[in-house]
Amino acid sequence: MMRDTRIRRMPMALSALVALALAILPLPAVLDAFRPDFLVLVVFYWCIESPRAGGLSLAFFAGLALDVIQGVVLGQHALALTLMGAWATHLRLRIRVFSMLSQCLVVFMLLTGYQFIVFWVDGATGNPVTNFSRWLAPIIGALLWPVLISFMGKLHER
Amino acid sequence: MVAFRSTDASGRTTGLLFRCVLYSLIALALIIVDKRYAHLVKIRQFLSVVAYPVQVAVASPFEGWHWFRDNVTTRDALRADKTKLEAELRVAQFRLQRYEALEAETQRLRALRDNTAGVTDRFVIGDIMNVDLDAFRERVLVDKGAGDGVYVGQAVLDSGGVFGQVARVGQLTSEVILVSDAAHAIPVQINRNGLRTVAVGTGDTNRLKLPYLPTSADVVAGDLLVTSGLGGGFPAGYPVGTIAEVKRDPAQSLADVDVKPAAALDRSRELLFVWLKPQAAELPPPAKPAPVTKK
Repeated sequence: MMRDTRIRRMPMALSALVALALAILPLPAVLDAFRPDFLVLVVFYWCIESPRAGGLSLAFFAGLALDVIQGVVLGQHALALTLMGAWATHLRLRIRVFSMLSQCLVVFMLLTGYQFIVFWVDGATGNPVTNFSRWLAPIIGALLWPVLISFMGKLHER
Repeated sequence: MVAFRSTDASGRTTGLLFRCVLYSLIALALIIVDKRYAHLVKIRQFLSVVAYPVQVAVASPFEGWHWFRDNVTTRDALRADKTKLEAELRVAQFRLQRYEALEAETQRLRALRDNTAGVTDRFVIGDIMNVDLDAFRERVLVDKGAGDGVYVGQAVLDSGGVFGQVARVGQLTSEVILVSDAAHAIPVQINRNGLRTVAVGTGDTNRLKLPYLPTSADVVAGDLLVTSGLGGGFPAGYPVGTIAEVKRDPAQSLADVDVKPAAALDRSRELLFVWLKPQAAELPPPAKPAPVTKK
C-alpha cells in the first residue's frame, strides 16, 4: 500500500505542474475564453484515480497555485477545487464504472459547480465577472475528459 | 453525514469529510483575510516568487521566438526599418524642439501655484511576461516587482499613452491592471476644452467609456482625452484615448461616449513605470476653528 502511494506521487505532481503551465500559456484572445480548466481536470482525475495519494491535498494546493498565478483573491480557487475535488472523490467508485458519456456528464457537472463557486466568490469579494463566456469552459473541459483519461492512463502505467 | 464517509478498497475510512471541511475552512479564512486585511501581502509576495519559475518556463519559448525573429531578418527588412525609423525620428525631433522651453515654462507656472503634483520624476521600463492571467480580466504580468521599487497604484504608460496601473506587487513581478479592465477608472479631461470626467474600462481591450457626461456636454468624436492628474495617481497631461463615438439620446440625461484607448493595450511589449515627483510643499494645515465657547 505504501509503495503504491509513493509511486503515484511523481506523475501526480508532474501532471499538475504541466496543467498549471497550460493554464497560463499565452493564447490568442479569441481562443482564451475557450481555454478549459486543465488543472481542475487533472485534479479530478487524481481524485477519482487514487484518492489515497492525497487527491484532496492536491486539490487545495493546486487551487492555491491558481490563485497566486492568476492574481485573484487568495483561497478562491482553493475553496472551489477542494469542494469539487471532495465530491469527485466521493463519487469515484461510481464514476469508474460509468460509460464514457456518463463520465463526461459528471465531469461537466463538477466543472460547472467549480465555475459557480469561483463566480460566487468573485461576486462576494466585489469584482464580479459577468461575462457569459466563462460558462463555456465546463463544456470544453467535459469534451476533453476522454482525451485526458487515455493520456493520463498511459502516463502512469509506465 | 455518514454517507459521505466513504470507505476505501482496504476498508479504512478516508476521513474525506473531515479533510474537505478542514481545507474549505482554511480557504474561506484565506479569502476573508485577503479581502479584508493586508496581512497576506508578504505571503503573496513570497508565493509569487515560487510561481516565478513556472511563469518563466511558460514565457521563455515565446521570448526565444521573439529573439529568433528579431535576429534573423533580411538586410532589406533592416534597411526598410531604418528608413522608417529615421523618418519617425525626424518628426519626433521636430516636435521636441520647443519641448525643453515649454517644460521649463510649465514648471515655472506650476511653481507659482505651489503645485508640482502629477509631474513625472523618473521612468523604469518593464517587459510584459508572455503569460495569460485570468481570461476575463484585463491584466498583464510584468517583470518588475517590489525589488525595483514598483508600488501598488503606480501609473504605467506605453509609447502611445496611459496603459494602466499596478494592481499587485510581487518580489520579482507585478500585475498591471489595464485602463480597459471593467474594474478600472481614470480621471481624465478633454484636451480641447478642459472638461473633466472619468474614463471607465469596459472589459473590451479596444474600448473605454465616459459614463458620467451629460447629454449637453461639449464633446465630439476625435477629441483627445488626457489624464487630468486629479487624484494624484497618474501624472497629468498624458493621452488616454480619443473619442470614437458620441451617442446622444434626448430621453436620457447622460450621453453614451465611446473612447478608443491611446495605448496599444493588446500589442505593447514594453511598459514604462512612472514615479511622480514628491509634493514640493505640503499645504499648510487648515486653521483651527475658534473653540466655541458656551455661556
